[in-house]
Amino acid sequence: MRVPILRQRASIAAIALYLFSAATAPAAAPSIDATIEPQQIEVGESARLTILTSGSGTLSVTLPVVSGLEFRVVGQSHQIQVINGARIESTSTIVRVTAEEAGVFTIPGLTPSSPPLVLRVNPSRGGGSSSLLGNGASPGPPPFVPGGSNANGIHLTPDGSAFVHLEIPKHEIYVGESVPIEIQVGMRDGFVASINSLPKLNSGDFTLNNLSRQPEHAAKAIDGKAFTVYTWRSILAAVKPGTYSLTFEAPVTVRVRTRPQRDSMLDDLLGDPFLQNIFGTTVPKNVTVTSPAAAIKVLALPTQGRPPGFGGAVGTFKISADLSSSKNTAGDPLTLRMHVNGAGNFDRVESPMLRGDGQWKTYEPKATFNPADPIGYRGEKVFEQPLIAQQPGTHAVPALDFSYFDPGTRRYETAHSSPLSVTVSPAADSAGNEPPPPANAGASADESHGGLRPDHAVTEARVDSLIPPYFRPRFVGLSSVLALLFGGGWISLRRRELNARDTKRQRELARTQLIRTLLERMAAASSAGNAAAFLSTARSALQQALSARWEVEPEQIAEDLVDARLEGADKDDIRQIFTLADEANYSGDDLKAADFERWTQIVSRQFIEETAS
Amino acid sequence: MSRRAPWGVILFALAVVGSSSSHAAQAPAYAQAQAQAQAQLPAPAPAPAPAPAGYSAPALYNLANAYARAGKPGLAVLNYERAKLLEPNDPDIDANLRHVREAVGLPPESRNRFERMAEIASPRILAWVGVLGLLIAGVSALARWQYPRHRRKLHAATLVGLSLVAVTIANGAALWPITHEAVVVTQAAPVRVSPVPIEEPLFVLPEASVVRMMGEHDEFVLIRTEAGRTGWAQRSSLAPVVPKRIASDGVSTSHN
Repeated sequence: MRVPILRQRASIAAIALYLFSAATAPAAAPSIDATIEPQQIEVGESARLTILTSGSGTLSVTLPVVSGLEFRVVGQSHQIQVINGARIESTSTIVRVTAEEAGVFTIPGLTPSSPPLVLRVNPSRGGGSSSLLGNGASPGPPPFVPGGSNANGIHLTPDGSAFVHLEIPKHEIYVGESVPIEIQVGMRDGFVASINSLPKLNSGDFTLNNLSRQPEHAAKAIDGKAFTVYTWRSILAAVKPGTYSLTFEAPVTVRVRTRPQRDSMLDDLLGDPFLQNIFGTTVPKNVTVTSPAAAIKVLALPTQGRPPGFGGAVGTFKISADLSSSKNTAGDPLTLRMHVNGAGNFDRVESPMLRGDGQWKTYEPKATFNPADPIGYRGEKVFEQPLIAQQPGTHAVPALDFSYFDPGTRRYETAHSSPLSVTVSPAADSAGNEPPPPANAGASADESHGGLRPDHAVTEARVDSLIPPYFRPRFVGLSSVLALLFGGGWISLRRRELNARDTKRQRELARTQLIRTLLERMAAASSAGNAAAFLSTARSALQQALSARWEVEPEQIAEDLVDARLEGADKDDIRQIFTLADEANYSGDDLKAADFERWTQIVSRQFIEETAS
Repeated sequence: MSRRAPWGVILFALAVVGSSSSHAAQAPAYAQAQAQAQAQLPAPAPAPAPAPAGYSAPALYNLANAYARAGKPGLAVLNYERAKLLEPNDPDIDANLRHVREAVGLPPESRNRFERMAEIASPRILAWVGVLGLLIAGVSALARWQYPRHRRKLHAATLVGLSLVAVTIANGAALWPITHEAVVVTQAAPVRVSPVPIEEPLFVLPEASVVRMMGEHDEFVLIRTEAGRTGWAQRSSLAPVVPKRIASDGVSTSHN
């Protein structure tokens, strides 16, 4: 509680300063002056009464009491001046004067010597409040008429903090008729903390259906004050005829001041309810806000002209019908659909659909409602009925009827759909309509259960499972293995065929194989120390490698061609290999081990270059 | 090799398939569902003789007829559906199934054109037709390299084989939903929003209704009705059309 302590210390300091100045300076004679602005207002508006007291000593000021005017202190300031040794005190008190009725009011002087003040109050013209004190700066009590209705028909609570408003499009309805309504709960910003539950209907003569769980909310200015308005939508329906008064209530939590009236002046000065909350001047309190009573006349549905098939539907509807197919096979079901579109009490929209006859076998229809709005007032109800044509041929599905009461025209209406046509072909097994003769001695046509065909002869062929074979792992495995085998074989043969077509690749493969063989021979000759065989094989390997690179026959590659076309660091060495290979055939010179290794590296390097290229 | 050699290969493949098929038809059976179910029937069912093990369409059909006469439409429809899996073109099964469903106020089952086309033969036959197609397609595709002079004929044979495989796949696609169907075998099956028994039922399925099983949780099965409504029904109220094991009562089976 840091704030009250600070405030208390400030008050103590102010009192000490006042006592000090009062004790040290001579006092001046007290005087009082009062002004009111403006001097002419309307009912519900406020004027500002400023009371200025000056001089020394205590001057008691009592607020005047005037019937039709409400006085409330909303601010006070105190000044002490010392001029030429004389102490002058002045206190300014601001009083809000709110007019509750029209007339010319005389506010008596605050002291016997003060002149009276005159305030003229004109009747309200229905506009918003123009209070000098109430517009934004000071929240105070709301400046509008407590418990009254404003121009929008909104009836505020006495403290002006909330309202419940019912928007109903008509006040004369029929029993069972659905009426879309809006329930608005307005909460003045800063005054109402929460709505504690959904709005509640205070009448047992009506039902409230499809109340939206999540309300829409919007900010709205009412009489110049900021409100948050929550809107629920629902459908209202009357249970029985008569004249009723309809109210809604909503429990809300409001913030209520708890401090004494004299302390509330500070609250008024603080202005914003948010600041009041900071200083702990309000506490939450649960209250119930009730809407003004709305008179509704409920009429009974007329008995005159009521169609035999009327099921209680009240509203405006249109119907249409269709079939799932225009062609069908005898014995197979069709689906007959009836669409009821419009607005009204769809919970009472029912239809027996088509009744069975010799032509059609019918089943119980089922209904589905597709709302077009959140409360289900508008939408489409679809009835689906399975039908079976008893005989082949072209059949007509008769028009469907739907009766309802239209509150707009105030009479019963019957909507008709168009007749439909369907062609029914004979069933494929129509030849077997008659039960087959018994296949074994024990089987016979079942007379007591007419329509059941007789038993069959039981054969020995059986299966171990009802699961279709292709869903069983064994079958799937077998099929997969077969598919993989065939697929693999096909891919292998396809690759072989493609390779066979590629002669260049075949030649490359042969050359590579040959070079590998020659390199192996070089290694063997090197191991044996046979220089002539080594060099001859090295020359052949080089001829193979260079022939692929230059795209010439290997036999054509000799020293002159090497001189002409080969480039790089190995050119001289390769040329030397060609020379030595010719000489070694007749010179019989031996090579050292290092030479064998060196020449082998050169030849291998050419092969690697050839492979890389 | 002679010019007639590829046809010899194909004939050999046919022989392999034929021997496999006949072997499958004599697969070892494991249950005596018919005998046990017959034993459950009230009089006038006679004392059952030991029934041969395994499933057969006539036995299931006769069993369904027995249930229908005994006033058990749920079990009757279940066995008709099972018989249809083995003999999809048997008009007696269709007629009696329709009769039993109408008797309890259910509309006949409606199949679309694709499902009807896929049900041209029993799944067992179509399964081996698929294998045959695979063999024809595979052998003829491989033989194209060995016998390039017969390339066109072998190409045609490949297409024929692939067509047979396609027929089998279509049949499997049409039957896949049916293998996940179940029949309400109790008088009524309450369907709830969640798999707990204390909750108020959303709606109640009548006996003999056919539903699609979409999931399981404890003793509940998530089902979808023919009208598209979904919810949880107690497992004991349902019997799957395709059982994986035979329970002691010979009828109520589980997918587990």
